[in-house]
Amino acid sequence: MKALYSLFAVCSLMFAACSDNKPVELYNTKAALPSSPKYNLDGLKVITSFVNKTKGTASTLYGNDLALKSAIDGNKTVGANEVFTLVTWKQQDDDHWFGAKIPSNVESVEVIKTTSSGNSVAVNYQQLNGKSLDLKADTSGQSERIKYILGQKPSVLP
Amino acid sequence: MAMKTNRKPMYQRKAFLIILILFAGFLCIQFVRPDVPNPPVTGDLEAPADVKAIIQRACYDCHSNNTNLRWYDKIVPIYWGVASHIKQGRADLNFSEWNKLAPADQKGKLWESVNQIIAGAMPLPGYTAVHTGAKVSAADLAVLKNYLASMVHSKPADTAVINAADRQYQYWQKNKTAVSKLPTAANGISYIPDYKNWQPISTTERFDNNTLRVIFGNDIAVKAIKENKIHPWPNGAIFAKVAWAQLQDKDGTTHTGEFKQVEYMIKDDKKYASTYGWGWARFKTPKMVPYGGSNVMFTTECMNCHKPMAAEDFVFTQPIKH
Ligand code: HEC
Ligand code: HEC
Repeated sequence: MKALYSLFAVCSLMFAACSDNKPVELYNTKAALPSSPKYNLDGLKVITSFVNKTKGTASTLYGNDLALKSAIDGNKTVGANEVFTLVTWKQQDDDHWFGAKIPSNVESVEVIKTTSSGNSVAVNYQQLNGKSLDLKADTSGQSERIKYILGQKPSVLP
Repeated sequence: MAMKTNRKPMYQRKAFLIILILFAGFLCIQFVRPDVPNPPVTGDLEAPADVKAIIQRACYDCHSNNTNLRWYDKIVPIYWGVASHIKQGRADLNFSEWNKLAPADQKGKLWESVNQIIAGAMPLPGYTAVHTGAKVSAADLAVLKNYLASMVHSKPADTAVINAADRQYQYWQKNKTAVSKLPTAANGISYIPDYKNWQPISTTERFDNNTLRVIFGNDIAVKAIKENKIHPWPNGAIFAKVAWAQLQDKDGTTHTGEFKQVEYMIKDDKKYASTYGWGWARFKTPKMVPYGGSNVMFTTECMNCHKPMAAEDFVFTQPIKH
């Protein structure tokens, strides 16, 4: 009987060792954005997603309801209180599927917020870079980025 | 005085009798043999010689009409297991009837095959333990991977593709794609229109089949991610995975083109106990045509490909937690 028990113990140890061989990596921790007051994805919806194969980056454009509605209308006019957030990650190979790439370290978070100022609408743009989300001080090139982001056609989500 | 006798003690005779009966039984069941015929080859796998040699050696016993049973495979009860593997293996993937698959499906099955090998799921480990010659070595795997990688091409979209995507987009933009009655798959799962308001938990670029994908999670799934309770996923968690054709522009950016399908996995370990605890459904095109038609067995395909992820509750995606 004792022998049987020790055999059982050895077997379960062996099984435990086997399952330990393949640690289960549940989250994509690399791609996680640090929590920060500088951006907020809560309640935002997906407008579109795209990749750049030469740069090896993956991006997702989020927006609040107003932003999504404007984007579907082609952003012909920019209304107040719209929030667009474009998150760009480096890509990595998907460990779970040969044939897929998934997001890796975050490269940038670009936030566009529109506010009404008198009769017109003010468009505010901020670019946060790297894992530490450093605010880009250099403001040159902002209008190109705004045009690029507002120019993105939404993904068909029927 | 005790008499000398040649007769063995009673218990030894009994043991002998039992062994004899067992052996007779063993011989008898040898005649209970499910038939494993080799049906004709309708159109064999076409691939470079080195690639094909590996697949023939490692997979053909169960996934072709050229099964080569060794003498030890033919001993019942081992034979019963072998026969059932061959029956199921052939039904799910048959390299001898390769011509019956559309070219895109052939490609898909090859990528799936290599992924099953990488995951250690194929060839079945119990089989390679005996048929050691069928093992796929690291060098073999490299040959297979290189072959698949050589089939990947990415080029800017041509006008036909762009126009098709544009047409679909305009249709959707004018809200003409909304369906009045929710389509339902053969297993009773209906299309869930609200998925687009859920949070994205990851995205993938699939270069094996030229698609882009976004994986959405419902509130229960997102809450479970936040609270680190995804092993296993809680009942009520739902994923929606959307796939679009890739649309590459001249600047090298690849956008989402035509919407192809949305797929769901609904967690309920009781209701869906027979399908790994998940309810599976796929709806194709903006018309949301249920995949599998009226055949509920379509879920076998989903389950087979997700099976190597059993340790992760059958989920491939590693959610991005912010
Ligand atoms: C001993 C028999 C056996 C061998 C050898 C074998 N398979 Fe399988 N295979 C099966 C069975 C049985 C299934 C059905 C699902 C299951 O039981 O996991 C299957 C399922 C599959 C599937 C999923 C099919 C689908 O789309 O539903 C793939 C892909 C696959 N095998 C690939 C391979 C490859 C590649 C090899 C060789 C490297 C291989 N198999 C060798 C028995 C085998
Ligand atoms: C050939 C393999 C394959 C088959 C068949 C398959 N899937 Fe998947 N599935 C994947 C992979 C790989 C992913 C990871 C995301 C990605 O790369 O697209 C995935 C992801 C998913 C997800 C997101 C959650 C997760 O597991 O990551 C859902 C939902 C899903 N599949 C549903 C289905 C349904 C429903 C079917 C059957 C109709 C199905 N799948 C068949 C390979 C497969």
